[in-house]
Amino acid sequence: MDDRPHKVHRPAQSGAKAEKKEKGKGKEKQHGFNEKAFAPKSGRRADRQGRRNVERDQTRLHVPLVNRTPDDEPPPVIVAIVGPPGVGKTTLLKSLVRRYAKQTLNDVKGPVTIVSGKKRRLTFIECNNDLNSMIDIGKIADLVLLMVDGSFGFEMETFEFLNILQSHGFPKVIGILTHLDLIKKAATLRDTKKALKKRFWTEIYQGAKLFYLSGVINGRYPDTEIMNLSRFISVMKFRPLVFRNTHSYLLADRLEDLTPRELVRTSKGKCDRTVTVYGYVRGTNLRLGTRVHIPGVGDLAMKSVTLLGDPCPMPNADSEKRRKLSEKKKLIIHAPMSDVGGVMYDKDAVWVNVPGSFTRGHGDVPQGEGEQMVMDLQDIGSTLEDAVAKSQIRLLGTSSRNLIVETPDMDIDGSDDDENDFSDDDDLDSQDEDEDLEDDSGIDSDAAEDDADEDQPRDLRNTGRSTHRTGTRTLPSSSKMQRTEIEYAESDSDLGDDEVLDDSGKRVRFGDDEDDRDIPSDEDDVEAEEADEEDETIPKWKLNLADRAQTSISSTRKTRRKDWTKLIYSTSLTPEQILEGAEEQEGGPREDEMDEDDFFQIKTSRAEGDDVLDQSKDVLSAAELKKWEDEEMLESIRHLFITGGGEGGEGEGEGDNGEEEGGAYGAEEDEGDDDDDEAAADPEATRAAALAAKKEVLKRKFDEQYDDPESSKLDFYEEKKDEMARQLALNRAEFDGIDSEARTLVEGFRPGQYVRVELADVPCELVENFDPTYPIVVGGLLPSEERFGFVQVRIKRHRWYARTLKNNDPLIFSLGWRRFQSVPVYSLDDHSIRMRMLKYTPEHMHCFATFYGPVALPNTGFCAFNSLLGETPGFRVSATGVVLNIDRSVKIVKKIKLTGVPYKIFKNTAFIKDMFNSALEVVKFEGANIRTVSGIRGQIKKALPKPDGAFRATFEDKVLKSDIIFLRAWYSVQPRKFYNSVTSLLLSDKAHWTGMRLTGQVRREEGLKTPLNANSTYKRVERPPRRFNPLLVPKKLQAALPFASKPKLMAPQQQQTYLQKRAVVMEPEEKKAVALLQQIRALRKDQVVRRKEKKDEKKVERKKKLAKEEVRKGEKDKVRKKEVMRIAGQKSKRDAEIEEGGSRKKRRKT
Amino acid sequence: MSSLIHFSGHQHFRQRLVLSILSGKHVRIDKIRSEDKNPGLRDFEVSLLRLLEKVTNGTIIEISVTGTAILLKPGIISGGSLSHDCPLSRSVGYFLEPIIMLAPFCKTPLQLTLRGITTDEHDLSADLIRTVTLPHLQLFGVSDGLELRIKKRGAPPEGGGEVQFLCPIVKQVKTLNFVDPGRIKRIRGAAHAVRVNPQFSNRMIEASRSILNRYIPDIYLYSDVYKGDESGKSPGYALSLLAESTTSAIHCAEAISQPGVAPEDIGLQATRALLAEVNMGGCVDRKHQTLVLLMMVLGSEDVGRCRMGEPTPRTIQFLRDVKSFFGTSFKIVPAEPGSSQLLYSCYGTGYVNANRALA
Repeated sequence: MDDRPHKVHRPAQSGAKAEKKEKGKGKEKQHGFNEKAFAPKSGRRADRQGRRNVERDQTRLHVPLVNRTPDDEPPPVIVAIVGPPGVGKTTLLKSLVRRYAKQTLNDVKGPVTIVSGKKRRLTFIECNNDLNSMIDIGKIADLVLLMVDGSFGFEMETFEFLNILQSHGFPKVIGILTHLDLIKKAATLRDTKKALKKRFWTEIYQGAKLFYLSGVINGRYPDTEIMNLSRFISVMKFRPLVFRNTHSYLLADRLEDLTPRELVRTSKGKCDRTVTVYGYVRGTNLRLGTRVHIPGVGDLAMKSVTLLGDPCPMPNADSEKRRKLSEKKKLIIHAPMSDVGGVMYDKDAVWVNVPGSFTRGHGDVPQGEGEQMVMDLQDIGSTLEDAVAKSQIRLLGTSSRNLIVETPDMDIDGSDDDENDFSDDDDLDSQDEDEDLEDDSGIDSDAAEDDADEDQPRDLRNTGRSTHRTGTRTLPSSSKMQRTEIEYAESDSDLGDDEVLDDSGKRVRFGDDEDDRDIPSDEDDVEAEEADEEDETIPKWKLNLADRAQTSISSTRKTRRKDWTKLIYSTSLTPEQILEGAEEQEGGPREDEMDEDDFFQIKTSRAEGDDVLDQSKDVLSAAELKKWEDEEMLESIRHLFITGGGEGGEGEGEGDNGEEEGGAYGAEEDEGDDDDDEAAADPEATRAAALAAKKEVLKRKFDEQYDDPESSKLDFYEEKKDEMARQLALNRAEFDGIDSEARTLVEGFRPGQYVRVELADVPCELVENFDPTYPIVVGGLLPSEERFGFVQVRIKRHRWYARTLKNNDPLIFSLGWRRFQSVPVYSLDDHSIRMRMLKYTPEHMHCFATFYGPVALPNTGFCAFNSLLGETPGFRVSATGVVLNIDRSVKIVKKIKLTGVPYKIFKNTAFIKDMFNSALEVVKFEGANIRTVSGIRGQIKKALPKPDGAFRATFEDKVLKSDIIFLRAWYSVQPRKFYNSVTSLLLSDKAHWTGMRLTGQVRREEGLKTPLNANSTYKRVERPPRRFNPLLVPKKLQAALPFASKPKLMAPQQQQTYLQKRAVVMEPEEKKAVALLQQIRALRKDQVVRRKEKKDEKKVERKKKLAKEEVRKGEKDKVRKKEVMRIAGQKSKRDAEIEEGGSRKKRRKT
Repeated sequence: MSSLIHFSGHQHFRQRLVLSILSGKHVRIDKIRSEDKNPGLRDFEVSLLRLLEKVTNGTIIEISVTGTAILLKPGIISGGSLSHDCPLSRSVGYFLEPIIMLAPFCKTPLQLTLRGITTDEHDLSADLIRTVTLPHLQLFGVSDGLELRIKKRGAPPEGGGEVQFLCPIVKQVKTLNFVDPGRIKRIRGAAHAVRVNPQFSNRMIEASRSILNRYIPDIYLYSDVYKGDESGKSPGYALSLLAESTTSAIHCAEAISQPGVAPEDIGLQATRALLAEVNMGGCVDRKHQTLVLLMMVLGSEDVGRCRMGEPTPRTIQFLRDVKSFFGTSFKIVPAEPGSSQLLYSCYGTGYVNANRALA
């Protein structure tokens, strides 16, 4: 059967298939790339095309920016859902959460964090319609889902929001059109989509992504549409924005009031609060000692920052070997302010919602986390006393007895907010807090959180919860005890190098608690004292560990050097003591016995060095120099010179590429002082190795140069990117090994870590008027941003804002993290000589504005508003711009004209009064240029004694007494030092923050009349006609004048002249002649009139004729047109018939 | 607003003022020589405060009646063309050292003329600042137009010297990664003798060469001649030496004339001090530790690393002060096991020159 050959295929020779093949033969060539088709026809075109390609390549490139967010564990991407009310934001959020986490949220408040993929988490936040919220969201959102009601179109808020985004660095925007099901007609729908898309593209960029969501099913958007959207979100790449890349910030997903209840009670809730906020660090590293700004609240100091376990952890590598995210991981959702799983965190309480009747006897699985919590509480089988007795804690290492609880309410954690300070056993902790939960609801949220942390089996990095909240909150069991013990056993590995203050040997602190090691203590300055006060808490079962550590330390102390970091930062020794200690350790044979004696010695040395000069050159000690007279000593440093020693070649070879981190570092290790004996041990091998390495380097270099000298060279862009990548790798590598506390000390909290920030002195209104739907952004401030000064900005009134902006009118700026009201002074650069004040912003043009406020770095964008109220009609973004300059003083001037009048005039000199009030003022202006209205220029000379403020001035010509003299001067204008932070979050009605009002506004609201200065009212200018006296030349003088100069004043003729009044009598002949002439003239006149009449008649006739002809022509035209149309109609009819007939025919044929 | 930082004592006066101005934090220093027979600020310190007031705009300095306490509320660093007469109690180096730390962060490039003593035994001489300190600044990307011109020399006690310091402005200093000290490849030096026998400088050079010639051939010590009015008011001579490594790490030393000491001895003294400095190792010598550490702190938000010898007491205090002003602490570990050299690494604060105007 097998060996039988298959039937050979015979291609069809005739029929449809053969025909088809025949047809395809001609087309075959067109398959694939036809290079001829795109070949340029002319050389010039080829050149142009080539250039265009190069230019297009360049547009692909962007300025390389360092991304400060770590790639391995980035913070969740903030996805903000923005849109006008009623557009379906909440529905979309619920749909997306449902898509990702398979849970339905009943009540969405605050941020919702979910895991969306193996490498990505998302934080969804809904933005309400308040402009303040839109500003804050615009500053932190990585991706904006901009929702637009398709049945209505764009609304003003949408455009306002886009303008806010534009001025604070544009995050990615995806448009979403909803309510499309309300448009019934398909054509209208298509047109609407097209129109909205066009508008959207002009706002964002051509080709911006726009999604269409049709109707709502089961309170959610259709699953397929949501899935498409979620796919887009999951593949989205983000370019770092400059501002966020230089500031650290966090979006608080939970807020908690830690103020002692008693204090709140006694002050009737009016005391400043201590508040903790929770969130993921974003942007750059969050460092202690910096201040933060919460938009809507103000600048606050961070009292402490604590690293917490990640409540929404990323799937780690070992749990996720698969390509896809496992279903289990998908279920994690972190939304403390929303109602998830029956637990809701409020500012001062945790609400556990349980459905209907709640009894233990259900037997089935608990409904949610909250229910689980309550169940666990009921499960407690032992008391605190039992737990303590079991754990055998000793307060002091030396105490003989274990800790015994005598009173049941020994509330350690409750009394002390910073529960991490006190190191305790796990069981004790949880038990203790469970009690708290029962008797005091004030702190139970804190305790619960702590508990949640405690429950997780933690690895060294403390990534927090690694599983779904399935309620591992069970009571301490024996297995758990074992687990903790194992952890402690692990923890002793780093016991020796970081927790022991070695020099004095007086304090030995152990990382006995996981928290203590993982969560860095924040008051590092006071850490030393704190540690002093704190007693050692070494449980009994750890004593052997301590002993072991002690012995190991004492054994290693000889070889170990000082821990400089510890000595410098966490001891209070003077610099001299530190250095002395170093010598002591190096020189002295008995290092172990370093005790108080040394201190006294140093004290004396310090006393004498009290008058030490602040100098940079060290005092050359004679002994030190004496050493160098010794020939041996001189020889000993020969290896430090390029000519010195056998290892010179090696050193030089490495020196060339010494900038590379690893290589150089490795090279140094075998280069130093100790390599003499090493070399002696095995000189041959090392030499061979060194030679091999050198050869390798040379070979690589040769290969590179020989193969392609260009290939080793990178272009600028690649070079920069390489450099950044190298630096980032170095950043990661440098602190990889060290323990997290020291690491936090040096580099702060990295982005992606979940922290708890404790803020001191928070206004109580924040807590009292807390509303989770308003985002709380904690923005880190740079040191320079805490300062105040005059900020010069380039500003342009928004072209959609209806009114011009007036100088010295308050404006609300959104600059950096802050929103504040300030009073800008507008100005323009006047020929680069002066900054000249403007009364109003120019139209369609940038101008400068200077205002007093917190400093922002130059090149920071901002937008400004006149009012933030929702009911403000029209477009609210009144101006946008960028910061140019920061200064402590400004020089803006406005023109001022001082006027005076001459009261005495000499030839070219005049005495002027009424310009100044005193001689002193005149002295200030001596030499100043003055001018008359008619343009005669002059100069101020000197003050006159008599009328106060009068002066002598000279002019280029004689001035008139009626002339007004003016002095043009520049008056410097200082912007008002007014700064008013927009504290919208402190209000109970958050949307109605009012700042400083305009004077007119105040008057209108108070019903006051504008005070009217009588002198300021416009009056009709009465100008009496100017009378000039006749010029009288004395008779005597007149007589003496030559005729040409004599005044020629003659009165007009009064009487009739002779010619006018004479009578004429003609001769008869003359009479006849005149009569004849008159007749001839009359005839001529008549003739002309008649001719004209005849012409008019003819004209009328001709007009009539023309009109008749026109009518005839029109009729002809009409007939012709009719004929043409008839033919055309017939033709089209025929065409249509033919077409129809053809198709009919075809159909008939098939 | 800005938090106040409090210090006591007159030590480390300059670095605290500099850190305060750079960080913008107010600083209060009290107990300035309060136990001294002559309490309060010295004339050079007051002069320094005046200079800082000139360089900045909006700085408020309040000195108590007794002069034992000051309060500094820093303004912005404005820079520009300035001149300052230094008192004869300290050399211009005392004033230049803090100014060099501030100058790259001015609003406009600084052109500062200082008059006074150019070389003395306490502070870096103008020669060393020109040849050693400014190259250190170049490591951080402050290079174009960075110059120190020694117009006139002035030896103590009368002075009469004049130097002009020109410094460009930068937006941000570069992150330093300098861990390879290399090997010394060349030695340079300048000897000068003003208002004394010009042969003195040659004698110093001869003496110095007698020791240094054994190490490397690339030694060039030249005698710098200043005559007439340019040579100041007092006689004096000095030798400054610097050793540059293959990775352009620079170590320097200096000795100046003392009464009753032969020029040869001064030459030997300078040379031995240089050898001692070279022996300390590291990429940065002890006189410039603070400058380099400060610039590392002010770098971008990346890890900067530098290998140096053990910190001087001044450096230790500086590190502590940096922590209180900027919150930055260094990781200091031995460069390699068993070595006395240390590797200082820190995470830069991302300090951006906010004073610089845009366009």
